[in-house]
Amino acid sequence: MTDSKLLTGSGLLFNVLEQHGVNHVFGYPGGAIMPIYDALCESDIQHFLCRHEQGAVFSAVGYARASGNVGVCMATSGPGATNLITGLADAWADSIPVVAITGQVPTAAMGSDAFQEIDIFGLSLACTKHSFQVTNIEELEKVLHQAFEIALEGRQGPVLVDIPKDIQMASVKQTFDTTEHLKNKVKLPLADISKALNLLTHAKQPILYVGGGVGMANAIDEVREFAQKTGMPSVSTLKGLGAINPDNENYLGMLGMHGTKAANLAVHDCDLLIAVGARFDDRVTGKLDQFAPNAKVIHFDIDTAEINKRREADAPILGDLKENLPLLALALNIEDWQSKVQQMKNDFAWRYDHPGDNIFAPAVLKEVSDLMPKNTCVTTDVGQHQMWSAQHMSIDDPCNFLTSGSMGTMGFGLPAAIGAQISRPHDTVIAVSGDGSIMMNVQELATIKRYQIPVKIILIDNAKLGMVRQWQDLFFEGRLSETDLSDNPDFCMLAQSFNIKAKQIRKKSEVTDAINDMLDHNGPYLLQVKIDAKDNVWPLVPPNSANNEMMESA
Amino acid sequence: MNNYKLIIMTDDKQVVLERILQVTRYRGFLIDGITAKVNTGNNIATIELFVSSDRSIALLIDQINKLVDIKSVKVDNSAAKRLKAKECSA
Ligand SMILES: Cc1ncc(C[n+]2csc(CCOP(=O)(O)OP(=O)(O)O)c2C)c(N)n1
Repeated sequence: MTDSKLLTGSGLLFNVLEQHGVNHVFGYPGGAIMPIYDALCESDIQHFLCRHEQGAVFSAVGYARASGNVGVCMATSGPGATNLITGLADAWADSIPVVAITGQVPTAAMGSDAFQEIDIFGLSLACTKHSFQVTNIEELEKVLHQAFEIALEGRQGPVLVDIPKDIQMASVKQTFDTTEHLKNKVKLPLADISKALNLLTHAKQPILYVGGGVGMANAIDEVREFAQKTGMPSVSTLKGLGAINPDNENYLGMLGMHGTKAANLAVHDCDLLIAVGARFDDRVTGKLDQFAPNAKVIHFDIDTAEINKRREADAPILGDLKENLPLLALALNIEDWQSKVQQMKNDFAWRYDHPGDNIFAPAVLKEVSDLMPKNTCVTTDVGQHQMWSAQHMSIDDPCNFLTSGSMGTMGFGLPAAIGAQISRPHDTVIAVSGDGSIMMNVQELATIKRYQIPVKIILIDNAKLGMVRQWQDLFFEGRLSETDLSDNPDFCMLAQSFNIKAKQIRKKSEVTDAINDMLDHNGPYLLQVKIDAKDNVWPLVPPNSANNEMMESA
Repeated sequence: MNNYKLIIMTDDKQVVLERILQVTRYRGFLIDGITAKVNTGNNIATIELFVSSDRSIALLIDQINKLVDIKSVKVDNSAAKRLKAKECSA
């Protein structure tokens, strides 16, 4: 039996990872994590060598978001560990379950400013859900189990485990004792739904406001059934996209800064707002005191700290959405409201007529969305192309739309797509990126090359940091400051040097064939779509404005 | 500015204090004073934290409660009032 065998700490690490069903990890080796990389040789777990630790952590994030499993990444001490920070912050802000393993200098050297020593544990406090530093080999097994438990429990998030080199090499017996659970979980009171029921039965103009928590609570079926049964008009946050069936006739799309006009006006007019797994983020609410100004609020959340944080809830319902939401699923008499909302949806529907031969990015993304196979996973980077993707692609499940929501981290899209593709080898994965963002983790093209990962990259190229340029044009009197990228590299040549098939298009007439060529290609592909540098994302709620004051042109 | 005294019970982990201070600062509360003692019998630490802020104390309590090693967080209202009275007379 294996349980009597002495292991090293590193061997134990991989055993515990396997116990948690981990098949793939993303990482980058170095001095203080060498014993772990040595033990990797004896493990069945497949390791993907990324070309920067930020790539590794974002691939772990993409893996987690696309599959619902914990994503795992590893890095060495010092610079390796600090390179993880942005990805951990992103996972923290978007509540993504990731376990990050870092090597640390030996315990005896800790605190001596040793070579490649940094207090990653201290650095992690502000950007992880929890973190551990293991200074006693007897604690390692328990800590690793707890790391997985914490990452997945309640509101999910990233957990860092810092392991000094001597602990990685120390010998230890695996106890296989997984029974020690966390003691101090926040206990949620039983939901009191009587107040909420009362609000619901008296509402004439209710709106369902759907956030990223729905997918993470595995409550998509319950939310769709609720929307169906009540007939309630619904809107979604960026991270909630896909939770509501996009074909639902009362679904108005995304709300907030770049949301649809119908969604924002309906929320502004509603008398009851039911927030499910959403947190009244400033990009959603615009000017907070004018957000849904006449509405009572029912707020479903798993995290006590989100209740009353930005908006007072008239009826807070803490706990598991999957169990609680069905308690409110009643048929409602709201035909007048439904027809008003459907009228707005119709009046403000997206239009794709666009003058001239130049390519119109929203139309391209709409066409990609129409042509891509079912269950395609789309990742985005950050900027105009991200908002166009959110607006014009039709998403049928939140695990099929991965975007850096809260952090808005440029560089997310490419490594997240790699992680998503590894977790779902049989699905198509498309990364929509910008010419600014792609350069932030461009080194991951080498990861694509090495493992022949068939990710499709759509590069929306405006030779600008488009979103910032748009704001400079609109709100800084057109004074452009450091947003010009007209000296970009030749992206097709760049892709080809990593054995990635590439094509550039400039004219509307080339679009359909190019999309089909990309989707039909078996391997990785980069489609560079040149667009006009002046194109803006519309509509837009200007800063410090209410959501019913949207701009629709400059 | 309102003054509050929080009584926090935690597992005796070295880093707990650091976590509480980080969360308190980040969430917009000033720390006016702190005492921390460990009961060596049960390894439970009791931390008394005096804070002030314009923000609702519930925001901070919820955030501290989320920290993994925390057992309980309570506001000691009487202490907060005394503190306020002292400030006024000073
Ligand atoms: C890491 C990081 N740095 C800076 C920003 C600020 N920022 C937001 S959008 C943007 C421009 C993005 O340009 P590009 O990727 O070309 O996309 P586009 O807006 O042109 O579609 C910048 C610089 C950011 N979000 N993330």
